[in-house]
Amino acid sequence: MAENNSKRAFGGSAAEPPAAPVQPAPVRSAAAPTAAPAPAPVAAPAASVRSAAAPTAAPAPVQPPALAQPAPAPAGEEPRQHVHHSYIWLGGLRAGVAVLFAIAVSAFSSIASLISGIQRATAGVDFGFGVFVAIAVAAGGFVAVMAVIFLIHWLAYRNLWYQLGPEEFNLYSGVISKKRVHVPYQRIQSVDQKATLLQRVFGVCTVSIDTAGGANNKAVIVPYLAKQQAEVLRAGLFARKQWLAAGGDPAAFPAQAVAAAMPVARPVPGAPAAPGAQPAYPAAAGAYPAAAAAPQAPGAQPGNVLDMPAGVWDDVGGLFAGTAVDTGRVTYEYGLTNKELLLTGFSNNTAFVVVIVAIMGAVGQFADVLFDLIPGSGDAAVDAVVSAASGPAAGGLAAVIFAAFIGGSLVLWLLSALGSCLSYGGFHARRRDDRIEVERGLLQHQFQGVSIDRVQSVIIKQGFVRRLMGCCEVSLGKIDAMAEGDSNQNSVNQGVLVIHPFVKTSRVPDILTGLVPEFSGLPTDAHRVAPVALRRGLIRRCLWQGSGFWLAVVVLICQVGLHLLIATEAPEEAWALPYLDGGCLVGYLFALVLLVVDAVGTVLWFRESSFAVNERFMQVSNGGISRETVSFPRQKIQFGTTKTNPFQRLARTATLSARTAAGVGGTTIRLIDVGEEDARAWLAWLKPGGNVLQ
Amino acid sequence: MRELPSNQLDPRIKNVWRINDAIWIAVVFLCCFVPFGIATLVEPEPWLLMVLAGIAIAFAVLLILFVVVLPPIRYMRWRYELSPEYLDIARGIVWRKRFIIPFIRVQNTDTKQGPIMRAFGLSSVTVSTAAGAHEIPGLDVAAADELRDRAAELARLAREDV
Repeated sequence: MAENNSKRAFGGSAAEPPAAPVQPAPVRSAAAPTAAPAPAPVAAPAASVRSAAAPTAAPAPVQPPALAQPAPAPAGEEPRQHVHHSYIWLGGLRAGVAVLFAIAVSAFSSIASLISGIQRATAGVDFGFGVFVAIAVAAGGFVAVMAVIFLIHWLAYRNLWYQLGPEEFNLYSGVISKKRVHVPYQRIQSVDQKATLLQRVFGVCTVSIDTAGGANNKAVIVPYLAKQQAEVLRAGLFARKQWLAAGGDPAAFPAQAVAAAMPVARPVPGAPAAPGAQPAYPAAAGAYPAAAAAPQAPGAQPGNVLDMPAGVWDDVGGLFAGTAVDTGRVTYEYGLTNKELLLTGFSNNTAFVVVIVAIMGAVGQFADVLFDLIPGSGDAAVDAVVSAASGPAAGGLAAVIFAAFIGGSLVLWLLSALGSCLSYGGFHARRRDDRIEVERGLLQHQFQGVSIDRVQSVIIKQGFVRRLMGCCEVSLGKIDAMAEGDSNQNSVNQGVLVIHPFVKTSRVPDILTGLVPEFSGLPTDAHRVAPVALRRGLIRRCLWQGSGFWLAVVVLICQVGLHLLIATEAPEEAWALPYLDGGCLVGYLFALVLLVVDAVGTVLWFRESSFAVNERFMQVSNGGISRETVSFPRQKIQFGTTKTNPFQRLARTATLSARTAAGVGGTTIRLIDVGEEDARAWLAWLKPGGNVLQ
Repeated sequence: MRELPSNQLDPRIKNVWRINDAIWIAVVFLCCFVPFGIATLVEPEPWLLMVLAGIAIAFAVLLILFVVVLPPIRYMRWRYELSPEYLDIARGIVWRKRFIIPFIRVQNTDTKQGPIMRAFGLSSVTVSTAAGAHEIPGLDVAAADELRDRAAELARLAREDV
């Protein structure tokens, strides 16, 4: 492993053109300028500076670096690094608003009575004076609360700092009870950034450092770092990790290794849509500004409407962002086209459409019932309305209501689609050295960076809509840690890093070769599920787990029960029976539809499900109405299981489960009803050395 | 399926299972039985007696199942094999499972001994990977130590990445 890494670190893989020798930072200015169409992968050790105004085209002479970003301090006793001072006032403001809101909500009535009490007490004096006193008291309370909060934040700020030690990252916190978190560099999984809208305005962000993952290992959160500081931190962490992985002496970590110790990423020959990889950008010029500010590089794929505002964000950066720091060389980058962005926005809330349709159905039913009941109300006015409503005008009224409802829900849906678009605005996925970075979000900014070593799997997912359009969602499985105090993470996206939300299936290989060339050479000889799996699948999915079947059963039980009840207990209610049967008929029809959907899904599942293995990878496809293909390296399989139940033993099939460490606490990739022989061969393949024998 | 792994657990594990399960069943039984028993003493009613009889029968059935019937079958079906490179486990009576755990993925191994196991001179080994743990319940203490040492050594040789 050490050999492998050092090879990568110092550039000598056979596939690459000879890389330039690693140069120390000070010689930087001489290294780059005229290299324009030169062989791309110069080691770019010096690229620690981004000159802020570099949106112009590439071959222009490189601006001399205006101010050298001091590389993180030399080894030895590391200086304490405090977070940005906006922690005090921005964090304080946020906490203050939250506290005041809580107080206002919980103590609203008592405040009101207090005010009235003051008014009564001062009633003799003057009404205006009472109000004045009330306002003064409220303002005084407000100031006091805010002062306390700011004081607490100030104390917390004074006691919050981090150090990049020789072997581990340390985060110190706590005013009274001191806390120190150690993170060995080797254990760092990923370093993510997040910024709310307010934080973006001020150019600060929250950094979370993921460690080994699992439910017991919370992510380490460093709040309110200036953008620049965050990027330096990220680069420093990864560089040190690499240095240690390559067998470097922890004490002798060279400062410039932040830039230099990063391996030269493999050049990607067949990457048409990689503005960052074009040789047009001199290697040392800092690929970051070029890529960020000019995603519309000639010959690259067109960007989308939201790239511009996102680019503006990147240029402006926010009040305290500082000059951007180059954290490595980008070899591949892409954004979304207009079409992809729109489709992402509109297809990511299909659930919303379903809800609307369901509500419409319910309202329709309710209206029916209402109109049934009303004639008996005996109220003249209502009768008049009803007769009007059931007359020729009724159609008009109902239509208006209906149209208003449809219109309203359409607007809501559009808004949610727009929100979804905005959250994917400025989407960029890029390969920087050995890391994969994804950023998105126009308002709430999110930046996720994961080291390629920590990528567990490549997942290609096709929901119903995407499948109809021949598109898919590509994501990477990664190990996740539970973030400290961050409970609003949606569990659906846990352990998954979306690298493209909506892409034509034909473009997927391009993206994968560009972004994760490590995942080339995926297996192709698919072993389909056993023929008997169709029968077993139909029984399983249409009966045991069949929503349609069970719905029909429930409806049947209700129908029979109600019939019996009416027949025995209340024969005079027999008039309701036809309605009951009608309702049940609707239920049966719905169940039938569900059943057909289940059956179609099963047949599709049978046709498309398979697994494939080769020396390095395993690939599992699970078909159906929505389809998912997971590819993962053999090395990432923690353990494998085959499982059989008595019926499977009879049918001579087995269920395969491969477990990887993705997500919190692991992910199981399962394929049901593989033929017995295939399962046996797979187990043999799983054993160490078993892949070579094949 | 393929030929089963060669090793079986230590036969004494059957007794450990029996005692363990008997204790649990007895505890649950008492929890169910005592309240009804008190109620019967206070106010004897026929349906209470029926309930008591039902609980007693269930207790007897469970006891027979877990003390007489299941342990030998479980013992028969529980097999493992320690190759130099991987751990192979086959177990399960109705749902038969087969695990292959390469030692290079093992992150840590623990040995554990409860009071019952200690009385029989047994020990259980837990092998944890980054995505789940597996326990081999009944091993001779010496065998357990050996397994733990081997797994630990191979885990040390493994790559750092997960």
